[in-house]
Amino acid sequence: MAQSESAKPTKRRPLEGVRVIDLTKIVAGPNATRMLATMGAEVIRVEWHDQRALDLLRGVQPKAPGGEPDSLNRSGLFNNINPGKYGVTLNMSLPQGRDLFKRFIAKASVVCENYSPGQMDRWELGYDVLRQINPELIYLQISGMGKSGTYNDYLSVGPTAQALSGLTHMSGLPEPMQPAGWGYSYLDHSTGYYGAMHVLMALVNRRKTGRGCYIDLSQAETGLMVSGTATLEAQLTGQATQRHGNRMPAADWAPHGAYACQGTDEWITIAVQTDEQWQAVVAVMGSPDWAGAGRFQTAAGRKANEDALDALMAEFTKNEERYELMGRLQKHGIPSGVVQKSIDRITRDPQLKERGAFVPFPHSEIGTWPIEDFPAKFQNMPVSVGGLPGRGAPCMGEDNDVVYRDVLGLSVEDIAQLREDWII
Amino acid sequence: MNTPAALSGVLEGTLVIESGDERGEFAGVLLASFGAEVIKLEGRQGSNSRRLGPFASPQPDPEQSLCFWRYNLGKKSVSLEVDHPSAQGALERLAQRADVIIDSGEANDVERRLTLYRKMQAANPRLIICTITPFGLDGPYRDLKMTDLTQLAMGGVMASCGYDPQSDGTYDTPPIAPGMWQAYHIACEHAVIALAAALNFRELTDEGDCIDVSIHEAVSTCTEVALPYYIYNEAVVRRQTGRHAGTGRTPPWLRRTKDNRYVKAFLFWAGRELRAIPEMLNEAGLEHDLDSDAYRELAKSSPADAQKHFSAAVDKLVASMTAEEVYHKAQAKGLLWASVRYPEENMDDPHYQARGTFQAINQPEIGRELSYPVSAATDGKNRVTDFKRGAPHLGEHTREVLEQAGLSEGEIRALDIEGII
Repeated sequence: MAQSESAKPTKRRPLEGVRVIDLTKIVAGPNATRMLATMGAEVIRVEWHDQRALDLLRGVQPKAPGGEPDSLNRSGLFNNINPGKYGVTLNMSLPQGRDLFKRFIAKASVVCENYSPGQMDRWELGYDVLRQINPELIYLQISGMGKSGTYNDYLSVGPTAQALSGLTHMSGLPEPMQPAGWGYSYLDHSTGYYGAMHVLMALVNRRKTGRGCYIDLSQAETGLMVSGTATLEAQLTGQATQRHGNRMPAADWAPHGAYACQGTDEWITIAVQTDEQWQAVVAVMGSPDWAGAGRFQTAAGRKANEDALDALMAEFTKNEERYELMGRLQKHGIPSGVVQKSIDRITRDPQLKERGAFVPFPHSEIGTWPIEDFPAKFQNMPVSVGGLPGRGAPCMGEDNDVVYRDVLGLSVEDIAQLREDWII
Repeated sequence: MNTPAALSGVLEGTLVIESGDERGEFAGVLLASFGAEVIKLEGRQGSNSRRLGPFASPQPDPEQSLCFWRYNLGKKSVSLEVDHPSAQGALERLAQRADVIIDSGEANDVERRLTLYRKMQAANPRLIICTITPFGLDGPYRDLKMTDLTQLAMGGVMASCGYDPQSDGTYDTPPIAPGMWQAYHIACEHAVIALAAALNFRELTDEGDCIDVSIHEAVSTCTEVALPYYIYNEAVVRRQTGRHAGTGRTPPWLRRTKDNRYVKAFLFWAGRELRAIPEMLNEAGLEHDLDSDAYRELAKSSPADAQKHFSAAVDKLVASMTAEEVYHKAQAKGLLWASVRYPEENMDDPHYQARGTFQAINQPEIGRELSYPVSAATDGKNRVTDFKRGAPHLGEHTREVLEQAGLSEGEIRALDIEGII
């Protein structure tokens, strides 16, 4: 399929020649295919206008200012999660739509979907059917709990999986406080990463063996993969996993927390790992009497008196400007960092700016907006979050003409007829 | 779970050398789960993570750190002082047959070793090098001292996680860093995605690559709606207890259960909830008026009051059952609710047992097995990734690996005498 001239690299892309049919919605699945597009796959998003097939993310806030309020093409979150992909519409609830889908599958390397459990089987488009069409197909199915097992008809979104996996419980201040959990769908992000990782490994496998495979990825299991040492400790102690706030339970690191600074809801984190760092903190604070007291001299003493230590640290930081304090602490080699809000990352973070963490890409309806880039630099591989089309997210059905022509070989007349029949 | 995991052999024959500190260890674990031979280079004192708890032993013991076990599963350990000039020859020999080098730590330390790795890459152009550092290898923040906590702060995760503000809108609780090692997880997952892409790239071009992963940038890309809200609307999200940070206040999700636990019980005011909850109340034998004319009238005349009334009925329903009962009954009605479990409560769950999520690994140090979560997916029946071995003892594989790299007995002995292995 034709690529944007401006997006054409001089070297081959890592996923050159890989075509991904993308039926995913919301964040977890689209994040996986976002990564594949970034690595050079031709990702074709397949959507439709009914509630089952429309990506709800198209309608969520924040939206680009202006335009028609009901437009499906103005969500900033959708634009950030779906750059670098082509977009087509296809009515899969009609047999003709499913036939066209099968033609896509015959020409695809990968299909990704995160429909409700069982939807693809109800359409008779499960892996067993699709692999008959294309034995080399890699089929990534993402669901909250996973398709096999006993919960395969349970419904889940990121926060559901976070609760079940233990991530919600582990985040927050100790009892009797409630869990704080995650303030967003962390497992939508992580599951996207694992989805991309598994597909990339399956592509390595296919290059070696010529075989495709089925991957039944679970959000809740992804949560367990990132639950640290909790399950191991519980097996040994027989005790339930506890929350520790911002403290470090695994070492005598103290002070180790977030401390309020000057201003409204402005905070700094400080993580002291050694006695030398503590002495440096004391010096930065102007060597107050309390800091030289015996109970804070050693790591064990600071850890044993962490409540008192935190209260005294907070007394010190409350009159400090957070970035200025971070600068002074860092000058002395003390791990510390401002709790940066989104506004800070965009307007005050010179590192993100200099490393090009936000890349402007055009969008056909809302204009050019910054997109979060892949968080690494590459010496050889051409990697671009704008993907083959070199742009932000596709508008609904934006690439119908080019995709149905170039991928399925349909004529202008065929395409017009499909539109008229409400199939595309 | 007797069949081999479907993708666990994908990287069989792929040799990964891992150096550095705890920041990059999870990347090695993930590669080992796909079958790579991961050789961890540790100084003679052992990795930092060997000194981090919790410990299986009553006193800290570098061979009994659960942190080390978890983040070094499936690897081999070679004791080698990589920064010592005399180690260079051994490293070069190792790199001759290596596919991937992962190094992590502070930028200065990593950059020093990178000079050597680049020489190795000149001799072996298919070599893929991946560095994982707090801010990447350039930029004004490159040399700032960081930990997982401070990375979650700078990268924006903490600004979205925590507790509700007080009634006047001010906070009396700090932003929260969800534990543990989440900044490192996020960075390592991106590193493995980049490495897997590089393995594909190498098949196309016969070239390796040098990949510079920034933990800060990785964390910053993992905050969902926070950045788009500012970019598009100049709005800043505010943290809320147990639910999404938002630009406005949203109703609570966490509710207390009969067994003094929590469930995450969302209310989206959708038709399914409006039908399911009165049914669940009826089935629990709890009185309610959610299907009365009076309630319907309230819903029309004062939707906000009706929602409060409905939410109170949900509180009553949840309080009448255990967390697990609420979870299963709600799911049976098609609701997205879940019990807020401890991670370990999943180990005995028949669902995960059927999927093989956990793998029992023998731990001779304590004379028993421990179950580790090892796979996020199945191939329809069996888990797709697992491990051939547990975490290594310090230097357990030094001799074996150096011999395989072609070092003679005399060379190995010389390294030993010099205190390098």
